Amino acid sequence: MNYRERIRILRDKKIKDTLEKRKQKGYMDLDDNGGVAVPDDFSFTPVSNSSDGGFYGAVGFSVNMAKLADAHPVYVDPLEILAGRRMVMLLDYQGGWPGKWPDHLMPYDGLKKELDEYDIISGIGSNQHYACDYQIGISLGYHGLIQKIRHYRKKNGKEKYEFYDAHERVLRALLRLIERHIDEISFKISVEENEEIRENLKEMLECNKNILTAPPKTFLEVCQWLGWFYQVSWMYNREGAGMQIDQFLYPFYKKDKEEGRLDDEKATFILADLLLLNPNYYQLSGPDENGNDMTNELSFLVLRAAHWLNSSANITIRIHDKINEELLKKGVEYLFKDGNGWPRFSGDKGLMNYARNENVTRKMAVERIAVGCNWMALPGREYPLNDCVKINVAKVFDIAYHEMMNGEDYSMDILWKKFVCHLERGVDITARGINFHLDNMHKHMPELWGNLLMHNAIEQGVDMTLSAEFVNIGVDGAGIAVVADSFAALEQRVVKDRCLSWKEIYDAILADFKGENKRIQQILSHSEKYCQGKGLGDKWADKVNREFTKQIKEKKMPKNRILIPGWFSWANTIGLGKKVGATPNGRKAGEPINHGANPNAGFRKDGAATAMSNGIAMVQPGFGNPAPFQLELDPGIGMEDGGVERIMDLIRGHFEKGGTLINVNIVNKEKIFAAHKDPELYPDLVVRVTGFTSYFITLSPEFRKLVVDRMIDTI
Amino acid sequence: MKGMVADIQRTSVHDGPGLRTTVFLKGCNMRCAWCHNPETLQSKQEIIYYAEKCIHCGKCEEGCYTGARVLCGKEYRAEEILDIVEEDRVYYGKSGGMTVSGGEPSAQPEFLLEIVKEAKKRDINVGIETNFSMDLDIYQELLPYIDCWMVDIKIYDEEKHQRYTGISNKKILSNIRKLDPYLKCGLIIRTPVIEGVNSEKEELKKIAGFAGSLKNLWYYELLPYHPLGLSKQTESSKDMKRFETPNKEKLKKYAEEFGRIYQMKVKISNISV
Repeated sequence: MNYRERIRILRDKKIKDTLEKRKQKGYMDLDDNGGVAVPDDFSFTPVSNSSDGGFYGAVGFSVNMAKLADAHPVYVDPLEILAGRRMVMLLDYQGGWPGKWPDHLMPYDGLKKELDEYDIISGIGSNQHYACDYQIGISLGYHGLIQKIRHYRKKNGKEKYEFYDAHERVLRALLRLIERHIDEISFKISVEENEEIRENLKEMLECNKNILTAPPKTFLEVCQWLGWFYQVSWMYNREGAGMQIDQFLYPFYKKDKEEGRLDDEKATFILADLLLLNPNYYQLSGPDENGNDMTNELSFLVLRAAHWLNSSANITIRIHDKINEELLKKGVEYLFKDGNGWPRFSGDKGLMNYARNENVTRKMAVERIAVGCNWMALPGREYPLNDCVKINVAKVFDIAYHEMMNGEDYSMDILWKKFVCHLERGVDITARGINFHLDNMHKHMPELWGNLLMHNAIEQGVDMTLSAEFVNIGVDGAGIAVVADSFAALEQRVVKDRCLSWKEIYDAILADFKGENKRIQQILSHSEKYCQGKGLGDKWADKVNREFTKQIKEKKMPKNRILIPGWFSWANTIGLGKKVGATPNGRKAGEPINHGANPNAGFRKDGAATAMSNGIAMVQPGFGNPAPFQLELDPGIGMEDGGVERIMDLIRGHFEKGGTLINVNIVNKEKIFAAHKDPELYPDLVVRVTGFTSYFITLSPEFRKLVVDRMIDTI
Repeated sequence: MKGMVADIQRTSVHDGPGLRTTVFLKGCNMRCAWCHNPETLQSKQEIIYYAEKCIHCGKCEEGCYTGARVLCGKEYRAEEILDIVEEDRVYYGKSGGMTVSGGEPSAQPEFLLEIVKEAKKRDINVGIETNFSMDLDIYQELLPYIDCWMVDIKIYDEEKHQRYTGISNKKILSNIRKLDPYLKCGLIIRTPVIEGVNSEKEELKKIAGFAGSLKNLWYYELLPYHPLGLSKQTESSKDMKRFETPNKEKLKKYAEEFGRIYQMKVKISNISV
């Protein structure tokens, strides 16, 4: 059996595993994590160290993490080359991600009222959302990391013992987990009759034995090393950030090939297995510090591995002026061929704006890689908490609008001033929430696993939330199109056309556009919109973005903390929309807000992707955090002559204009509608929900609708 | 000068190579029974009526906001059009650009010439979708400014052409033949395939044979009928008929055969066979 055939079997198994997992866990409105269902006889009960029955702090988390790792079932599939598999996550025993905040120990009641008023997702208690520096890990190996912990434990004295002991406790639990897998592999070898499979298991055994005691030396060993690290990252708090994988693995790949241990078929197989175990966020290509393209053989092999697996994946190609055209073309071809929403594309020109932030160099902007849904991080050096903090600007507008209409004077100027004023309050309360999180998170849930591969944390004996070299917190706005279109509709219909009055519109909004107010809703919803190009909608989107960016950037933060603006709703469009009343763009109360930086549906009758691209490029805040362009494409385009090249032109164009990230879905409209009705008919359908990809069948009806509703005609 | 434009559509993927902005000029000298764009037939402004969007509110005169009644036709100057076209310049890459379509763009010859001249001045790739049925000198004047000619030969038989489109095809075929040697940049001959009108092999083969004999043919393309035009009701659309969609498998076989016989590239809806 060749490698390709093995991956094909493993893919089919993954689809079955996913169905089983869904039966066991219900809907999973998250990234496909590559995990499998846990055996029926598995049981784990965490121990509590708090009066509310929960577990908190370095001791609470480390003891329970070690217990969970010890109870975790082993997983060895003789068709694979890597051992281990995700099954259970510690935070599931604390109510699911992000876990339960210990209100009784660290209350923040004073902040809650205002956070609720503006419907701010504060990030308090959110964890992970940073990137590790894996060089630290592979240069030391797991045993070396233990030595490092002990070294600094001794050096930094007694008051840090709890910190170091907690980290060592978790690390040793991983080693025990690997040891149990070594036992399982040994046993499987003893009973395996097929010579080919036995040889495969022997290789797996040797690899795992080696990395137990020493840093990884081969391509296979480094992939298995990463496999284990990722497994524990996820088990701890669902961390899924990957790395610049083509560069990171290249020295191992090159050496093994030169020494005859590896060929491209085997390398592809190992990579496909790594993607099967851990569909983490990986970046490919991009420029080096001098602007030279970093594409190498592995860039292509990673894409090929994902193609072999033909499943969900979160691979981003960083596009720049000197990008290897073949890699870009290959990426777009796979987008259409497999239709799984990968790869994504990030834009170097826009991302380099990260260097506009305080104390950030160009080199750092180059090294900051795509490792999350919408976000980037500087491996090992930055704690960005990206994608965890959201300001619902539609809610801010809602408050400002009602406040004005409950007064006596109405004008665009008054409304804008009120919006600015409430946004200032929203930004202020957001900043206070972030500071509360940063000051207290280490007492609640230190990053016991990620700290191992962050600079400063182990050296200082301080959690990364307080010791990271850069604490550049991402603050995303959500609802820009709702706000821009609402301002535009009011200006067009009340001020310019004078076909509606302030009062008429307000009465209709209070009635949620019901009954006789339906016509007013129609008039409003046919007003100029964001992404139409050079109209009122775009004018207001630009103004809202500039104001939001200014306020976030000018917000003073203590210590080395700064805030960085972006536009991204994640899949919160539904939840955030529920809190916003009817809006002057014709949107009814409680309806979802727009997705990320995308326009509202029906923004142009031709749905032109280029017009959308221009609009989204215009509202980039310009400090290196993205406002992604979510693009839905019909698979037919890829089949047409020149179709792939057209999409390449679109991608290049968006990034030339300063865009930062493009997420693409290639879905046949009829298929997605049919799958929404009966997901069981399409168990292998993978979609890009927002920044992440997932099996459609695992999504709740609400999340499925989110994808279905976006199926507007773009191209 | 100003010209009457039906629509300017961005991100066009079916009107020539690459990503394009298509400018639909109003007015056409043909009356094809299967027309996809009946709103472009008349050269004046007109209302398009989408019956499925009408909520029968009875307030048409106060303005329609459901999208059921849409005014089609707006006057532009060539510079204004190119300003819009330039908004997407960054996406045109090596092969994309602007396509002037219709209606029949050469029905507004002076305005058309202004547009393409302005485009060339701004270094924009220009495509044109035309029926080539006007006087030869109109097209001769356009020659230096056009990068890609997309010309329809709808029916080869003259009498049938007259019956289904309202005009003879004699001038069309003659114009193509005369201009072919000068179309150095590339010529696409296209045939909308309408079941019961021109979908028989012998009919299509004659057109393919003609196309295959051209010196500068880039490729020959078959465009299977779709009833899009019927959803748009206008003053001119009352004579339009619904046709059957041709069998794609059958067309594919024909296309392969034509390609073999006439040694040319043949596509169906922009997919090479």
